[in-house]
Amino acid sequence: MNVQHHLTDETIQDYAAGSLTASMETLVACHLTVCNQCRHKAMLAENVGGSLFDDMEPAAVAGSAMDLLARAAMMPEHSAPSSPASKPAFKGVPLPLARQLPADLDDLDWRRIAPGIKQFNLSSQHRKHGAFQLLHLDPGVVLSAHSHNDRELTYLVQGSYTDEIGQFKAGDIADLDGHDQTHQPVVDSKEPCIALIATQSPVNYSGVFSKIMQPFVGI
Amino acid sequence: MNTLVAEPAKKREGAQPDKKTEASLALRKRMGDNLVAIGLHRDEAAFADVYSYYSGRVKSFLMGKGMNDEIAEELTQEIMLTVWRRSISYDPKKAAASTWLFTIARNRRIDYLRGNSRIEVELDDEMLDVETTESDPQAKFVSDAQSAKQLERALEKLPQEQRQVMHLSYFRGQSHGAIAKWLDLPIGTVKSRIRLAMQAVRSSLLSEDESLHDNSTESS
Repeated sequence: MNVQHHLTDETIQDYAAGSLTASMETLVACHLTVCNQCRHKAMLAENVGGSLFDDMEPAAVAGSAMDLLARAAMMPEHSAPSSPASKPAFKGVPLPLARQLPADLDDLDWRRIAPGIKQFNLSSQHRKHGAFQLLHLDPGVVLSAHSHNDRELTYLVQGSYTDEIGQFKAGDIADLDGHDQTHQPVVDSKEPCIALIATQSPVNYSGVFSKIMQPFVGI
Repeated sequence: MNTLVAEPAKKREGAQPDKKTEASLALRKRMGDNLVAIGLHRDEAAFADVYSYYSGRVKSFLMGKGMNDEIAEELTQEIMLTVWRRSISYDPKKAAASTWLFTIARNRRIDYLRGNSRIEVELDDEMLDVETTESDPQAKFVSDAQSAKQLERALEKLPQEQRQVMHLSYFRGQSHGAIAKWLDLPIGTVKSRIRLAMQAVRSSLLSEDESLHDNSTESS
């Protein structure tokens, strides 16, 4: 996969620190799967965390090592966690996402939200806590121009789109972070464009019509 | 928030970088050997050494990230039990003991708070991009004592303001936004310090590798 758009260092560090939401983690893990360059950065960020861990001021611990071993001897040892039984094989979908899908992309229960735009919601949480969803965009679709208050991650599962930043293809990640820049993606692939999107807070749409649409699009 | 003032335990000023680096490397070796000994023959003395060094740090991490004493104590015991039972899977070639411990603690905290596991890359994913792993100088650093030394040195050299933000991000704050509030800085400043620190660490590893990888534009 010829990845052109990568995660920022800040997002990679946040992932290594364990500070992202489950939906953001999914997006990051999808990109790390298809991009060894970012995967190595993430590994480095974990090693930095490990090195700094040695410098921490320890807290007072009540229990002792020998108490713990005595307790351990009396507790049944769970067998090593078996790897998740079935590994979903959805073509073109990295496992961190595939494990959260009930069916292959073609068989999802897509909800039509606008001409040429279908949505599959991956999160039941209220929109104000941020969205986590797949968007299915027909070729030629132009999304409303919008900007973001906070972090938004987009992972391209298939197809491509172009916006003010550049062209995004499968495997690319758009790591937008609270800059005021407005962007307006245009789908420019022959096949439908499928994007996985996670936001931390709702998106600001520029036009009045878009503001009306926002509750339906949910981003 | 009183955790705001949490700072790295050791005062950097006046410390001799090379001595500090050497002490870090000696510790890394000792703890790595300990984990191997636990994994191979359930070495209780080795476990006692790991426990006495890391249990307080694990608990400090959990409390720093917002857990109360009671829950942090309980999770610390669980995490140390995991260390005892899973040391067999520790590979000193892949990571320092401290990194292994840190990731176990980080993941257990996420499990506890969310009720589901941290989402990670699966190395047997058919989509895994492995093409250039072997030719990438960054890929080998963890398995290499020389690179471990470079990492320690690079961290020693970070400006205090970058080190502070990194420390807070790994062990104290819930988010970069929270750190910005604590330090009364714009969030952009926090993020740029993190970015600069990551870049500094990375370039120090790459530059010291340059001589070996100068003509590696085409991978071997």
